[in-house]
Amino acid sequence: MIRILIVEDDANIAKLIEATVAIGGYEGVVCGNGQEAFRKMEKEGFDLVLLDVMLPDMSGFEIMRSRTNTEVPVIFITAKQELTDKVRGLRLGAEDYIVKPFEAMELLARIEVILRRVSKAAAVYEYGEISVNIDEHTCKLSGNTVYLTPKEFEVLVFFLQHKDVAISRERLLSAVWGFEYEGETRTIDIHIQQLRKKLKLKERLVTIPKLGYRLESLK
Amino acid sequence: MKLWQKIFLYTLMLVMLAVGVTSILTLKNSFQMAMEQKKKAAFTEHEFLITNFKSLLLSERLRQNEILLENSRVKKYMEAAFSEETMESSVAFYNKNQELVYQNQEQEAPKELLAMAADGESYMQASGEQLYIVSKETLETRIYYFLTITDLSGVFRMHRDMLNNVCRISMVCAFGISAVLLVVVKLLLLPLQKINEGTRAIAQGDYERRVPQKGRDEISELARNMNRMAQAVEKNIKALEDVAEDRNQFIANLSHEMKTPLTSILGFADLLQIKKELPEEQRMEYAGIIKEEASRMRILSGKLMEMITVGEANLEWEEEEVSGVFNEVAASLGVVAKSHGMEIRCECDTGKLWMDKELVKSLIYNLADNAMKASREGNEVRIRGWFEKEVFFFSVEDSGIGIPKEEIGKITQAFYMVDKVRSRASGGAGLGLALCVEIAKLHGGTLTIESEPGTGTIVTVRMKGGAAHENL
Repeated sequence: MIRILIVEDDANIAKLIEATVAIGGYEGVVCGNGQEAFRKMEKEGFDLVLLDVMLPDMSGFEIMRSRTNTEVPVIFITAKQELTDKVRGLRLGAEDYIVKPFEAMELLARIEVILRRVSKAAAVYEYGEISVNIDEHTCKLSGNTVYLTPKEFEVLVFFLQHKDVAISRERLLSAVWGFEYEGETRTIDIHIQQLRKKLKLKERLVTIPKLGYRLESLK
Repeated sequence: MKLWQKIFLYTLMLVMLAVGVTSILTLKNSFQMAMEQKKKAAFTEHEFLITNFKSLLLSERLRQNEILLENSRVKKYMEAAFSEETMESSVAFYNKNQELVYQNQEQEAPKELLAMAADGESYMQASGEQLYIVSKETLETRIYYFLTITDLSGVFRMHRDMLNNVCRISMVCAFGISAVLLVVVKLLLLPLQKINEGTRAIAQGDYERRVPQKGRDEISELARNMNRMAQAVEKNIKALEDVAEDRNQFIANLSHEMKTPLTSILGFADLLQIKKELPEEQRMEYAGIIKEEASRMRILSGKLMEMITVGEANLEWEEEEVSGVFNEVAASLGVVAKSHGMEIRCECDTGKLWMDKELVKSLIYNLADNAMKASREGNEVRIRGWFEKEVFFFSVEDSGIGIPKEEIGKITQAFYMVDKVRSRASGGAGLGLALCVEIAKLHGGTLTIESEPGTGTIVTVRMKGGAAHENL
C-alpha cells in the first residue's frame, strides 16, 4: 500500500487530509511538527509527502532545503498563495503546490498525477470482469477488448480511481475535459450511458439525484 | 533663458556700458582741452602777428619819416610780412567796408563774423576744421579787420584716432570680460546645478539621496534646507511604507488565519457530501470539527470587529470609580477561573479615572484571559490596581508558563502566537494583546510585559486616562 506522510500542524486539517487520501486508497501518516517530519522523511520510506509550509518549529521550505532523501516526491499544501511562495516551493524541488482551502478531489487528482509520474500509481485497474490498462490505453470485459473513445476511457479511469465517491458532473467535466471546457453537462450523461452499455455497468454506476454519479465498489 | 545666461548678459551689458560712457566722457573732455589750447595758441599767434605788423608799420613810418603811410604802401608791407612762404596760418585783411584788402591764401571768410567784429572786440569762430579769429585794428588811422585762419584738422585727427583706439580696446575688453565672466558665473552657479540634479533624483523616488552642501552662501543654505526637506520626506515616506507594510502583513496574516478553519470546514463538508455509507461515528466527528472551526471563525470575526471599533475611536468617555470596574470584571472572571480550577485575586485602590468603561473592561478581561490560558490548574492570577499621583497603574500577574525572551517583542503583533497549537486549542485568535495595546494607547497609556519562562508573566498597564482627557 502506498504510504503518504502528512505534515500539518493543525490537527483538524491533518485529519481532513488523512480522510481524503484514504478515499484514494492510500495510507496516511500524520505528523504535527517539522523536526519530527524531517526525521521521518529521512529515515522512513514514504511514497509521497504532503508538506505544510508554516510549521511551528521548522518551516516546510527549511525541511526541503535540508533534506537529503530527494527521491520522495513532495507536494506543498499551504495557505500562502503568493506567486513568489509558489515559485520558491517549486524551485526547492516540490512536485506540486496546493493552496488552502482545497477540494478533496483536487488533492486526490494531484496525488494521482505525481504518483503516476514517479510510476507508483497502478497502471492496471481491475473491477470485476473489467480490466483497464492505462499504459496500453486498453479496456477488457471478460477478456474481450471493448472499444472506448478517449473521453469515455478517461471517465472510466476517473471513476475507477474514486470508487464509492459521489462525483458531480462539474467535477467530472473539469477533471476529464478540463476547466476551459464550457460544454453542457449533458455530454457527461451521454458518456455515462455509453459506458453503462458497453461495460454492463447499469447497476454499479449509479445516478445520484441532483449531484452526479457514483461507482459502487464490489462487495 | 537660463539664470547663468541672464546674469552673464546683464553683467556684460552693464560693464560695457560703464566702460563706454567713461571712455567717451574722458575722450570728449580731452578733446575739449586740446581745442581750448589750440584756440588759445591761435589767439596768441593772432595777437602776435598783428602786434608785429603794427610795430613794423610804425618803424617803417618813422624810417620814412612820414605822418601816414599810404594805403598801397600798407598793402605792400602786408604782402611782405605775410608772404605765403613764411606763414603757416592764412591771414587776411579787410577794410572797414569789409572788402578784402589782402590775403596770403585763397580762403573764404565768414561775413557775419566780420560784421560782429565791428564793435571793436575780437571774435573767434570754429567752423568745420578751421578756426577763424577776427579783430578790428587801426592801421595808419584807417580801420582794418584782421582775420587769421588756423587749421584744426590735427586736433580732429587726433580725436578720431583716439576714438578708434577706444573702440578697439573696448571690443578686446568685451571679449576678455565675457570669457572671465562666463567662467565665474558658471563656477558660482555650479552648486545650483548639483542641487538641481539632486532634487530631480529625489523627486524621482531616490529619497535617500542628499545634495552637496559646502560653504556658507545662499546656495549652500538652500542646499541645507533642501536636505532637511528631503530628510522629512524620507521620514514620512518611511512611516507611510511602514504603515502599508503593517497593513499588508495584517491582511496576509488575517487571510492565513481565515484559511485554516475554512480549509477544515470546506474539506469535511466535502467529505460528508461525497462519501458513501459514512459510519455514524465518523459523521459526528466531521460535523463536530466543522462546528468547532466555524466557531473559531466567529471568535476571529468578533475580535476583528472589536479591533475595528477600537480603531475608529468613537469612545464614550466617563469618569468611573476604578475599584468598581475592577470588581465587576473580577466577579465575572472568577466564575470562569473556578471552572478551570484556578483563582482570581483582585485588589484595587479607590479613585476616579476618565475612561471608556467597556474598553477598559475588555482590556482587563483579555489580559486575565491570557494569564489563565498560560496557567495550570490550582494556579492563581493576581490583578492589582494602584494610583501614583495622576497616573493609574494596574498589573495582571500569573505563575504560568511564561514567554521566551526573544518572543516578548513580537507578541503584541496581530495574529502572532508563541505556541500556535496551544493557543488554537484554547480558542485564541492571536489578536488579544494587539487589542490591549490599542486600548491602552487610546487611554494615553503603555503596556509593558515582563516574563520569565517557567515562573510566570507580569503585564503592567500605565494609563493617564484622567489627566489626558479631562481637558477635552
